[in-house]
Amino acid sequence: MVEMTSKEKFKHLDKIGPMILQCISCGDCREATDYSSDPPKSGVCVSRDHTSGFEPFFGRGKMQIIRSLWQGKLELSKDLAEVIYQCPTCNACSEACAYDMDNATIYEALRAELVDAGCGLEAHIPMNKAMVDLLNPYQRDNKEKNNWIQELDFKVKKAPEDKADLLYFAGCTAALTPEIKAIAISTAKVLHKLGVDFAVFGDQEVCCGSVAKRTGDLNAFKSVLLKNHELFKKSGIKKIITGCAGCYRTLKTDYKDYLEDLNIEIFHTIEFLDNFIKDHETILKNLEITTTYHDPCHTGRNAGFSPLYEEPRRLLSQISTLVEMDTIKESAKCCGAGGGVKKGFPELALEIAKSRIMEAEETKAKYIVSICPFCYRNLFDAIKELDSRLEMIDLMELIYQSLI
Amino acid sequence: MATLDKAYKEIEGIIGSKYITEKDFMKAAYSRNVDPAFPDRWADMIVRPVSSEEVSEIVKIANKFKIPMVPRGGGADLVGGSVTQGGILLDLTRMNNILQINEENFYCEVEAGITWGALVSRLHDKGLTTGVLGPGSGFSATIGGGLSNSTAGFGSTKYGVVPDICLGIEVVLPNPQGTIIRTGAAANKYAEPFCRYGVAPDFTGLFMGDVGTMGIKTKAFLKLFPVTPFKAQRYYILNKNDYNKVYELLHRLRAEVRDGLHDVLVVPLITMQLLASLVENKPNKRPRLKGPIFSILVEAMDERILDVYLEQVENIMKEDAREFEMQEVDLDATLSRDWKFNLKYAYNYFNKYISVAPPKISCTTCHKVPISAIPDVAEKSNQFDIKYKSEFPLGSISLFATVIFLMPNGNCVIVGGFNADNIDEQRETSMKMWHKKLRLQVRYGGVHYWLGEAISQSIVEADAYTPEFIQFFKNMKKAVDPNFLLSPNKFHMYNYEDDIFSHIVREE
Repeated sequence: MVEMTSKEKFKHLDKIGPMILQCISCGDCREATDYSSDPPKSGVCVSRDHTSGFEPFFGRGKMQIIRSLWQGKLELSKDLAEVIYQCPTCNACSEACAYDMDNATIYEALRAELVDAGCGLEAHIPMNKAMVDLLNPYQRDNKEKNNWIQELDFKVKKAPEDKADLLYFAGCTAALTPEIKAIAISTAKVLHKLGVDFAVFGDQEVCCGSVAKRTGDLNAFKSVLLKNHELFKKSGIKKIITGCAGCYRTLKTDYKDYLEDLNIEIFHTIEFLDNFIKDHETILKNLEITTTYHDPCHTGRNAGFSPLYEEPRRLLSQISTLVEMDTIKESAKCCGAGGGVKKGFPELALEIAKSRIMEAEETKAKYIVSICPFCYRNLFDAIKELDSRLEMIDLMELIYQSLI
Repeated sequence: MATLDKAYKEIEGIIGSKYITEKDFMKAAYSRNVDPAFPDRWADMIVRPVSSEEVSEIVKIANKFKIPMVPRGGGADLVGGSVTQGGILLDLTRMNNILQINEENFYCEVEAGITWGALVSRLHDKGLTTGVLGPGSGFSATIGGGLSNSTAGFGSTKYGVVPDICLGIEVVLPNPQGTIIRTGAAANKYAEPFCRYGVAPDFTGLFMGDVGTMGIKTKAFLKLFPVTPFKAQRYYILNKNDYNKVYELLHRLRAEVRDGLHDVLVVPLITMQLLASLVENKPNKRPRLKGPIFSILVEAMDERILDVYLEQVENIMKEDAREFEMQEVDLDATLSRDWKFNLKYAYNYFNKYISVAPPKISCTTCHKVPISAIPDVAEKSNQFDIKYKSEFPLGSISLFATVIFLMPNGNCVIVGGFNADNIDEQRETSMKMWHKKLRLQVRYGGVHYWLGEAISQSIVEADAYTPEFIQFFKNMKKAVDPNFLLSPNKFHMYNYEDDIFSHIVREE
């Protein structure tokens, strides 16, 4: 039997190139604490902080494992997957890296190898299968994505049948989670109130595939990507806005090469509104509340060269008194939900979120605000678990209140 | 049940199943540090104890089953110091609490697994500092590792090496009883750990720079200093590439500016040329670099005194050098007058030198020499590099020094080495040249500090130790480690009977 080379065996890692073997093992990704950085850093890896903390739970250990796999000293296994998937791929390790390695991209490739080898996490299989079969990862009838629309007191355009240049892509979490649908409803109401012409897909909206990409099921990802491409093309849309940080990152970065022919611009709704409000000199009412802001990793560290750090803060500062947490922007602690952790390891996700809520409580703010339904969901669960006095709210809900 | 399995079960009974592992991928993850040439080494098991008492129990079990142990801090070591082929690897980073910051008496008590970055950040909130901020890997490196390697780092020109700020430690001896002792003032059970000397012989020193061979450090008591509010940095470039002049200027700076000096670094001309070539944002026209660059950082409690220090520096330097700005070679560099201290300057700064072009890593040869020896050492080092040019690993660059770092009184660290890829094909070549160069340095009287395996063995190979010293060393180790279980292989010591002089390399 001819033995496969590492390049043949690990094609997803191979695609990344020499970077997979460039880690020198300095360990700055473990817990670089730095009072002098702006913003200050207080540790790095939330996964390490809330697990047994052995090396594979943070960047350096994972990179060393990849090295050992590449050198044929180690085999992929279910045991290994159990650890590799306890990482929300928040990329705080990349932020700490003196050599600017893009850790999350490498972890995703490693997960793709695990899935191809039949070692993916069992908990993710039905989620990614539902994404392909039902067009959402929540194993729900996609018709339910119409429910939030039915709560609007005005008519919205339904793409692809109705034509509009601007599409509001609600995302599966906001569209299908009763406690979170207020985000989608508020977004539509804000757009309507500002006179923005837009359309939605409703029950035809296809999951962006973020969770499949993050968990390494690239077949599932490719399947929804192609469906979305078809749908976008048919709709003739020019611009997509989404209130979901995960959808934003996926559409903006992971779809980039595939959407080139359609020339569609991608914005987070907050980015869009920040520009709109500036251009139209829209006055937002100050709601006389104190808020603190949680940076989603998908709009921050994982958003490439255009992270959305200032846009939400600019809006929040107009409508509330914003009190910052200790760790913000590129140093912000992750909520713990991403990278398939909420699905695969719900207790770990909750523990990480509880830490973030405790950090937010220090600010004495009334509301913890974010721009990601998935962060919303996990932080909301932590608030309940801790019986915290904090209230979870999406920025779009506050903007809607400030426009009334 | 096999011995290892029995030991595993017993340790698991002490620290719980969550904090012990023998899984292959875990072993792989711990199989190397920042190693430029060592092969990956897999421990038999890895444990993460949380207290001195747990460490003590593990030590007792290791002795019962005669299993070797290696302690590991931040794992930022370059010289094979904290990896082990087989045996128990003790990851001590769970022991990372600050137990006391005594603001009244300027000392602190910390668990040895805390990182320098975490400790320095907490102290800064209280207007305090450890003076020397630990090694250039301080975001990752631990206090325990800094003590075990007698490391130098940011602040060393003024505050010395890490053991110089150590007032004592708590250490678990590797004996069958897993004895826990405290040294320094803390050896007096009635005393606070506020000073180092006086209670007994300085047993703290026994464990400083021991590269984990004498005991497992679990706590450290450290001196604290008030943060000095005013700091300023200036660069000077020498008019010619003259190491006699480098020595003269370092001597005058030490003699005349004294405590005002916080850090003095000399970047050799060739290093500066190399760094300038790697810059992304280059100026259209670059001045001709003629000599080494002095980076001089002064500090004072009063801005007026700072100005006096800067004036003194200018007076010393002006005849042989001109003021220099890094912007002359790198448009993104900060002007001296806008310079502000941050931890990245102290920590990432060194990382970049350790691996200018990852994954190549430096086969480090950092060592101390008297400042008057700099010209001779530069010459000898360059001659060595020329003589053995063809024997270095492929694509390797060997530099006499990436930086010369002034230490207290009249000694300096020659930070240097040559870079290598940690790949099977290069390993033998790299290791051979690494040891050869280290032996040269030992023989011209250089004193290394982070010894690990590579350097401690090279000192033996260079025949630096007398038989009397080695016997004393063995006797001391035997007193604390009768079964020879802790950190074997270092100093070419594999058991107490072995003749380490058989490892001397005489042909050079």
